[in-house]
Formats: sequence, C-alpha cells, structure tokens
Amino acid sequence: MRLVGRRLLMTLPTLFGVLVVAFLLLNVAPGDPVAAMVGERADSATIARLRAQLHLDDPLPAQFGHYVWGVLRGDLGRSYITQRPIVQDLAERFPKTVQLALAAMLLAAVCGITAGAVSAVRPGGAFDRLVMLVSYLGVSFPVYWVGLLLILVFALGLHWLPPSGSGGLAYLVLPALTLGMRSIAFLSRITRAAMLDVLSSDFVRTARAKGLSEGAVVLRHGLRNALVPVITVLGLDTGSYLTGSILTETIFGWPGLGRYVLTAIEKRDLPAIQGSVLFMSLVFVLVNLVTDVLYAKADPRIAYD
Amino acid sequence: MRARSILFHTALVAAAACGRPAAGRAGLVYYESYDPRSLDPALSTDVPTGEMVTLAFDGLTQFDPDGRLEPALADRWTASRDGRRYVFHLRAGVKFHNGTPLTAAAVRASFLRVLAPGTKGGRPWPLYPIAGTEAYAAGRAGDVTGLTLVGDSGLAFALTEPLAIFPKFLAMPVASVVPLPPPEAPGERPVGTGPWRFVAWQHDDALTFARNPDYWGGAPVADTLIVRIIPEPLTRAAEFEAGRLSVIEVPFGETGRWRAQHPGWLVEKPALRVVYVALNNRRGPLRDARVRQAINQAVNVPEILATVYGGRGVLARGAIPPALAGSDTTRRAYGYDPSAARRLLTDAGYPGGIDLQLWRTASNVELSRAAQAIQSQLAAVGVRVELVERDASSQRAAARTGQADMVILDWWADYPDADNFLYPLFYSGSFGAGGNYAFYADAGTDSLILAARRTVDEASRTALYRRIDDRVYAAAPWLYLWFPKDLWAHRLELRGWDLPVIFNGQRWTHARIGER
Repeated sequence: MRLVGRRLLMTLPTLFGVLVVAFLLLNVAPGDPVAAMVGERADSATIARLRAQLHLDDPLPAQFGHYVWGVLRGDLGRSYITQRPIVQDLAERFPKTVQLALAAMLLAAVCGITAGAVSAVRPGGAFDRLVMLVSYLGVSFPVYWVGLLLILVFALGLHWLPPSGSGGLAYLVLPALTLGMRSIAFLSRITRAAMLDVLSSDFVRTARAKGLSEGAVVLRHGLRNALVPVITVLGLDTGSYLTGSILTETIFGWPGLGRYVLTAIEKRDLPAIQGSVLFMSLVFVLVNLVTDVLYAKADPRIAYD
Repeated sequence: MRARSILFHTALVAAAACGRPAAGRAGLVYYESYDPRSLDPALSTDVPTGEMVTLAFDGLTQFDPDGRLEPALADRWTASRDGRRYVFHLRAGVKFHNGTPLTAAAVRASFLRVLAPGTKGGRPWPLYPIAGTEAYAAGRAGDVTGLTLVGDSGLAFALTEPLAIFPKFLAMPVASVVPLPPPEAPGERPVGTGPWRFVAWQHDDALTFARNPDYWGGAPVADTLIVRIIPEPLTRAAEFEAGRLSVIEVPFGETGRWRAQHPGWLVEKPALRVVYVALNNRRGPLRDARVRQAINQAVNVPEILATVYGGRGVLARGAIPPALAGSDTTRRAYGYDPSAARRLLTDAGYPGGIDLQLWRTASNVELSRAAQAIQSQLAAVGVRVELVERDASSQRAAARTGQADMVILDWWADYPDADNFLYPLFYSGSFGAGGNYAFYADAGTDSLILAARRTVDEASRTALYRRIDDRVYAAAPWLYLWFPKDLWAHRLELRGWDLPVIFNGQRWTHARIGER
C-alpha cells in the first residue's frame, strides 16, 4: 500500500512535465484557434477581440500560470470551439473508450494467451505454424485496412453486424476486433516464446517427473511463470487503448477520446487538447501502476522497496 | 453454422436493444462528417453547425433547395427606394418549440446576442450592414441604433449604406431567432421555431430530432430525423449501402462504380462553390500578372478535373459559379497552351523559370491530388513547384498571413449571390481572414465591387458583377480551376428530398420514406 502511495506521489512531477511540454508544443505549432472559431470569412476586429478575450495575446508564462491555476482547482476550462466544459466532454467520451478498450483487451487476452500457450505445447506442429502465420499477418496489416475489410465482410457482405456507430454489443464487435487484433497477434507470440522458455526448464521436468498431469504442468507451472512478460504487454496495450484510438474510432464512428483529441488538435482547441493530454497521461500512469502491482502478484520474487 | 446463428442473434438483439432504427423503415437518417460546434445559432460558423441550426431554427428569410430567397419568420418586407431602410413584418401566430410566441423583441434580442462580445461566437459580420452594430460588437455602444421595433410584429433596419442583398444576409444560420429569454443551454438544448424539435445529442455519435407538428411552414411528413456523425467517407458509403443512411455525398473513389451500377441513386447539381489556387499577388514573381497568366495557361485544368476530380465539376472561367446571376459561361478561358505560357514567362523576365511553393492539406484528399498534378504540369514550363503539406489549420494560417506563394482551396457560398464570390475574395478590404487569400488589390475592382453592393436594380447589379469578374479574370489573381458539381446518392425509397445548392437550403420537411 505504501508503494502505491509513493508511486502516486511520483506521478505529480510526471503530469506537470506533460503539461509543460504540451503547452509549449501547442504554442510553437502553427495555426490559430481563433481561425477555427470564426470560420472561413472573418473580420480582423472580431479576431483581435476574441484573441484578447481568450488571453491568447498574454505572455506565455501568464497563460500557463492561468491554466495551471485552473487545473489545481479542478477546472480544465471550456473548449474555445464548443464552449462546453472540457471535464464534461471527457466524462462523456471516456466511458465509450473504456468500453472499447476492455472489449479489445478481453479479446486479446483470451485469444492471444490461449493461442500462444497451446502452440507452445507442440512447437512446430500444425496449430503452432497456423498461429504464427496468423499473428504475423495480424501484426503487419494496418489497422485502417483491417477495419474497412471487416466492415466490408461482416456488415456489407454477411449483414451480421452494423458497419459503424455505437449502441449495443453488436456495435462493439468489429471495432474491438480491429483494435485488439495487434494485441492478439503480439500476445500469442510473446506467450509462446515465454512458455517455450519455461517449459524447457528444470522445475517443469521435475513436475512432470513427479507424475503431474500435462494439463496441470502447462497451466499451473508453465503459464503462471510465463505471465510476467505477458502482463507487461497487456499493461502497455491497455494503457494505450484507454487513452483512445484515433484510427479505430474514426473508421467505426466510435464516440471515444481518440476522435475528441483529433478534432481538438485539428481546430487548435487549446484547452481541449491540454485537458485531454493531461487526462490521458493520468490514465496511462495509473495503468502502469496497476501493471507493476500485478507483477508482484504474478511473481513473488519481484518486490518493490 | 451454429456459431453464425448465435452471432447473428446477438447482433439482432443488440441492435433492437439500442433502438436505432434503420433507414427505410422508421425515419430519415442524415449525417455530418464531424460533430457540430454547437446548436446555438450565434456559434454557427461552420457547415455542420449551420445545417443543424437550420433544422431547429428559422430566420426572417430562408433559402429553398435551389437557393432562391423565400420569406420565413417574416412573411413580407419592404425596402426604401435608396436601399438603406428595410422593414420586416413577422408572420402571425408563430410559436417557439417551448410554446412562447414569436415577437419582434425576440428577433431584436437574438441579433444583439450574436453581436454581444460575451457570446464569443465569431461571426457577427452578416449583421454589420445594420447601423451601429460594429460599435455594439466592439463594446463602444450600449445598444444598436439601426434596429428598431415597429409595433409588436415589425422590425425596421437602418443600414449604413444601401445593400440590395441584405435580405439574403438574414437567411444565414447566425441570424436565426431564439426565444426571449434564451433557453438555459442554447448550445446543447436548443429551442427554435424550426421544422424539427431537438430531442437528443450524443456527441460524436448522433443527433435526434422529432417533427414539429406546429411548424408554420407545414409540419414535416416524417416523424424523426436522425443525424449521425460519421467521419470516414468509406464507412459512410458502407452505412448507405447497408440502408442505414437516407442520403450520402458519393465518395470520390466510388464515383465511377456508382455511376455505372446505381444510376438510379444519383442526383447531380452544380454547387455554389469554386475550387482554385490562390496566387499570392504580393509575393516574388507572382506580383507580375504575366506570370500568373502563364500559370493559368500551363495547367491542363480539364484533364485534372476529369481524372483527379472524377469529372465532378465544370471548368471555371471566372469566380462566379454558373448557377448565379453575373456568371459568364461564354468568357474565353485561358486554355491549355504551354508554349504561350513559356513565352509569357520569358516576357516577364524569367526565361530560366521560377521556384514557387504550393500549399496543400491532406484533409482534402482530392485537392491534395490536384496539387500534385498541377506541380507536374507547371514543371513542364519551367515553374518548379515545391509542395508544402500541412494540416488544414496551418495551411489556413499561412494563407491568411500571406506566407504562402500558392494555396489550393475551395470556397463555399454563405448566401447565393455573386457578391459572395467577389467581395470576400477580391475586395482589398477582405485581405487574409476576410477571404482574399490572393491579396489581390485593384482600386478599379474595389470601387466596382462597392458600387455593385450599393446598386438596388437587379439587372444593373448583374451587369456589374459580370464586369468585375471579367476584370479580375484578366488579372489572373488565381489559377482558376473548376466549379464543383455536387454528386449525391439517395435511397430509392426516399421521397420529397432535393439536393440543396447551398448548405442551409434543405429542411427535410417534405422528405419521407415511401414505397419503392
């Protein structure tokens, strides 16, 4: 528990650093948030007035101080474009992102680990070779292409699932598969490699020698000990999925964080970008923390002092 | 087989549970490519916002799908002979969706709200012709002097100078009327007088509207109108083909296939838009009109239009789209003539050619490809073009500040009038953000543009528009490309829908899903 507290404290400088970098990057990037507010035909007096109202002409340290002060009070500000509070926007999108991320990770964990473990039992066998081929393809194909292909086959060809949008479970299947595909492929390879490593070690031979069933050997002794690298990959992927996935969300019209951030960047909606970056960093840091705790659970030799 | 049927039933149950009706059965389904900014008319500065505001609100005037001006909340108006004073009379018996009656005071308050500095809307200019509005918007005046009530149902507008097209300005979404006092969250839960009442908005996903049975213009035939937010064109095509969208703009990649396989789906109309390359008239060799003319002769526009743009447009021989009065479709075009272009460049003192940058943005795929074709054709006459690819926001910033030699752009009409293609694009007071990205300045053109705005008589104004377009075309401030034709597809069972030439020209009141 003390570990968790200390790690949480350590996230504060990380988040502050993220804020500084995001703020500076946004200010050197070309493009003007007011240009997106006023649209294609505008008068310069209105532009100047809006810039002044949004404090865009203030010195950078003053703008930054103003923003940090807001964040400390729990106020991420309002979007320049929509005038809605950023917190409300994030609260609306995050559950959708979580839904998609969890579905993708569940798919990845179940399919990836199973496929990897089974193929490690008989390396070089037909199943192993099939899994390795499929995972090779899974890692290589661009998400964009796979998403459109899935729509073409399952929505237009077979009419099993809706092409895009959000709603019930049916809407979740194709985006989760698209998003999780790389993880499935990657996890099966990682699991297979780790399992091969473990299954050839002395303690597995001992387990077999004392007459344990093959199932017990593979699951209890093999898989458990192969889990550490698998958890690493799972944790990293979960972290990145929970912060939104621009391509998958765009292809499937999924109303998550990824599209929100993309729109904010396209329109140079500074408060929306800063708020989302801060929020995503927080999520990422927390997921990493959970991963570290899980290491200790999976392997008692890992201890944090 | 079993796995398939389980999956299928899960899908069915889920689809039923979420309750989104498919087009073809329950309601109309339209789409936007990104989430509207807001549903507050005062914030309507982009097309999705403008289209949604048009569904829920009305202005004093409006456009029909062909871009003709019609009475809306005002059923009649009069203009003084000098064109400086307008009196609009409100239609009787109109009520907002919340039951409050429409009053002249609400109209006045709506306009003041758009202008008030605290609104931070960004588009007050359609109201600037009214005397005293600029001072009010700048916070220098406490009230607008040029806007007065005439009894309960009349409004008098005093303009700073004669403006014959003023009634068209009042049809823009930003001039829509909101109730007095305005609702609590006008951007999220709008209350208007329009044909559709707002029901729900799931951001980045869908907006739901229900018919307004009391609509003054006749209640919509359909019960519901759902507007989905679908960013990816190929996904939209899949949704349309699956019967889940009522209409769709045909994706460029599908132009040939749909034309061949589904001609019954398609509607094509000349759009009020122009595609062009702004040549910065204040930068380097482009200052010389001969160089700009040479560029116009060096590019084979019909070929690019046919290949890159799927033939979805007509050659631009000026800036005024053919559908608008003042356009001249018989004007002699520059024509593709590389040797003449080379001669012009030599005459201008550049026998060895010139180096220029052409800015493009990946968010407009077709124009981005056109830029590449232009690059290779210009190379043949010695104009060496470096393509600069940026996101739309950076490209716009460069164009507005005049940092780019050439920028490939398109221009959409806000109101169907040639003025919309002359005053913003070629008047010297519109430099940069105002729309004059070519930084074209010519005293003669300026005075003609202003004269046209002040001319009340329609025929004389049209003649002036044509003269201005002639004059500007000869100076070649742009590389003139084409006027797009909109190509849309509609479900065969959709009735009573017409492709609008201007974004706010379609209210979906006659549309319904009928028998094939």
